[in-house]
Amino acid sequence: MNNPITMLGDGFAHVLQGGAIFHALWAVLIDIIVGALPGLTATMGVALLTTLTFTMGPQVAMLVLVCVYVGAIYGGSRSAILLNIPGTPASAASTLDGFPLAKQGLAGRAMGISTLGSWCGTLFGTLILAMFAPSFGEFALQFGSYEMFWVALFGIVIAGSLSGGDPLKGYIAGFLGLLVATIGQETNHAYPRFAFGNPDLAGGLGLLPVLVGVFGVSEVLNAMRGPAVRAVSSKIDSVIPRIRDVTQYWRTILRSGALGTFIGAMPGLGEDIAAWTSYAAAKRASKEKELYGKGSVEGLMAAETGESACVPGAIIPVLTLAVPGSAPAAVLMAAMMIHGLNPGPMLAITAPEFIYQIVAMLVIADMVKLVYGLILVKPLLWVLLIPRSRLMPIVFTLCTVGAFAITSRLFDIWVMLGAGLVGFILRELRFPMAPLVLGIVLGDLLDKNLLRGLVLTGGDISPFFTRPISMALCVLTLLAVAWAIPGFVPRVMGVFRRRPA
Amino acid sequence: MSGNSDREPLPPRVDLATAAVLLAIGLGVMALAWRMPSFVEQSGTGLTAPGIVPGFHATVLAVLSVLLGLRAIRRGALKAGAPQSRAWSGEDARQLGTAALLGVLYAGVLVGRVPFWMATSLFVFAFTAAFEWPAGPVGRVRRLVEAAVLALATGGLVTLVFERIFLVRLP
Repeated sequence: MNNPITMLGDGFAHVLQGGAIFHALWAVLIDIIVGALPGLTATMGVALLTTLTFTMGPQVAMLVLVCVYVGAIYGGSRSAILLNIPGTPASAASTLDGFPLAKQGLAGRAMGISTLGSWCGTLFGTLILAMFAPSFGEFALQFGSYEMFWVALFGIVIAGSLSGGDPLKGYIAGFLGLLVATIGQETNHAYPRFAFGNPDLAGGLGLLPVLVGVFGVSEVLNAMRGPAVRAVSSKIDSVIPRIRDVTQYWRTILRSGALGTFIGAMPGLGEDIAAWTSYAAAKRASKEKELYGKGSVEGLMAAETGESACVPGAIIPVLTLAVPGSAPAAVLMAAMMIHGLNPGPMLAITAPEFIYQIVAMLVIADMVKLVYGLILVKPLLWVLLIPRSRLMPIVFTLCTVGAFAITSRLFDIWVMLGAGLVGFILRELRFPMAPLVLGIVLGDLLDKNLLRGLVLTGGDISPFFTRPISMALCVLTLLAVAWAIPGFVPRVMGVFRRRPA
Repeated sequence: MSGNSDREPLPPRVDLATAAVLLAIGLGVMALAWRMPSFVEQSGTGLTAPGIVPGFHATVLAVLSVLLGLRAIRRGALKAGAPQSRAWSGEDARQLGTAALLGVLYAGVLVGRVPFWMATSLFVFAFTAAFEWPAGPVGRVRRLVEAAVLALATGGLVTLVFERIFLVRLP
C-alpha cells in the first residue's frame, strides 16, 4: 500500500480522472500566454486563476494551479527571446543568450532549446520531489512549535538575504509582511488587532486580495509607464529541438536541474535566482565561455533548465513544511489552504498520497507544456504584439474579480487597491517583493507557533534554542543574517586562512 | 523574484526618508501593541497577549529602519551635494496617474454600484481610449471603435466566464 511506485501510480490514476487533460490543456495555455506577456508574472497568474478554481474540487483546482505555475514560468522565455524583455523575472537570464540567437535569425532554435531545457528541468525537479518530499515530510513530523517558529523566521531571513538586491531592505520587506499578517482577530483571545473598531479590518486582510494587489495592480501600474516594446523578429525558423542539444549538454542539464531544484527548495528564493545561479555555474564549467552572452545554446539551456527545475523544488517545502519556496509557490500554498488542503508536516499523515498526486500533476503539466512549446510558436508571437493599453485594463478587471470572489466583500477590493499602491511604492524604493509575500504568508505560522511555544513552556524561551532541530535552525538563521553583513564572510575566512610566517 | 534589483540604486536621501517613515510605522505599531490588553486573568501568564507578536515585529522593523537610516547617512544623505532622486518624467507621471485614477474609479466607485459588465466595459473603454488618444488624430476613430468593441467584449465575456461557467460571484 505504501510502496512509492504504487502510490505514484495511484496518484496518476487519481489525477487523470474527471477531464484532467482538458483542464491541463487550458490552464497551461492561458499561463504560457500570461508568462509570455511582459508585466504579467507567474505569481499574478496563479493568484488570478485561483479565482476560477473556487467551485472546483481540490484535486482539479490543484491540477489547474500547478499547470498555471509550470506554464507561466516557461512562457516567460518567449518574450525574453523575441523582445529581449523577460516575460517573468524568472526568464531574465534567458535574455542573455536567447535574444542574441533571435537576432542571428535563430529565434525558432532558441525557443526549441528553451522548450527542451524547461521540459528537462521540470521533469528533473519533479523526480527529486518524488524521491525526497515523502521522507522529508516524515522527518518534518518531528517539528514542534519551536521548530516551526524558526522555519518561518528562517524563511523570511533567507528570502531577505538572497532574493536579490539589498538584504537590509529584504528584511524590512519581510517584517512589513509579517506585520500585515497580524491585522485582524488573533486566535487565542479573538482580540481584533489594529481593527480600530472596523469589523472588516477585524476579519483580517485576505491573503488573496493582498497578493493580487501586490503582484497584479502594482504590475499594471508599472507596465503602463515608459515606452511600449516591440517584437524584434516575426520570422521564425524551425522550433523542433535537436537531440544533439541534449546529448551534448547533458552535464549542464543535470547540474542546472540540481541547482534549480535546490534553490527552489530554499524558502522564498524563486525561479530567477535559480536561473541566474544555473547560468553562472554553467558558464564557469563551460568549454565555450566566449559564446556566453552572444547566443550560447548551453547558456540558454542552463537558464531554462534551472528556472523550470525550481518549480517542483519550490513546492517541496510547501508540502513538507508549509513554507513556500518562491512567490508563486506562496500563492499556490494560499490556494491549497483555501481548498481545505493543509500543507505542512501533517500532510505525511493525513494525506500522504497528495504528494504523489502533485508529482503526477507536475508531470502532466510538463508534458502539455512540451506539446505547446512545439506547436504554439506563431500564435504566441501574435499575442506578444497586443498593445499594453488593451491588455492591462483586462488584467486589472481580472484582479478586481479575483480580489472580490473569495469572500464577496467590497472591502477586499479596497484591500487590493491599497496593497497595489503600497507594493508599487515599495518596488520604486527597491524593496524586493519575495520577502514581503513570504512575510504575509508565513505571518500566521510564526504567530501561532511562537505563542504556542511560549504557552507550552510557561514562558521559558530556552526550548527555542536548546532542542536539537531548533538549535540547528537558529544557527542557520543567524548564519543567513551574518552572510548578508558586508565584509563578514571575508573576515571569517581570514581567520581560518593560514597567515604567512 | 528579485524584481527591480537590477535597476540603479536610489540616492541615499530617499533611503533616509524611507527609514524615517518606517521608523514612525515601527514606533506607532509598538505603541499600539503595548496598549493591547494582556489577558493575564484568562491565560494566567500574559504570554498569549495579542500585542506580543506585532510588538516583536514592530521592534525589529524599527531597529532595521534605524540601520537603513544610519547607512543612508554614512553614504552621504546629509551632505550638501548629495544626489537628489530623479523625478518621474512628465509622461511617466501622466501615464501612472491616469492608470491609477481609472483603476480607483473602476474598482472603488463603479464596481458594486452599477452592473459589473457595464462597469467593466466603461473602464476598459476609458483606459484604452485614454492611452491611445495621444497616438494622434490619424486612425483615432478606428481606435476608439476598436476600444469600444474590446470593452463590450471584455465586460460580456468576463461576466459570462466567471458567473456562468465558473460560478464565481461577481460584485
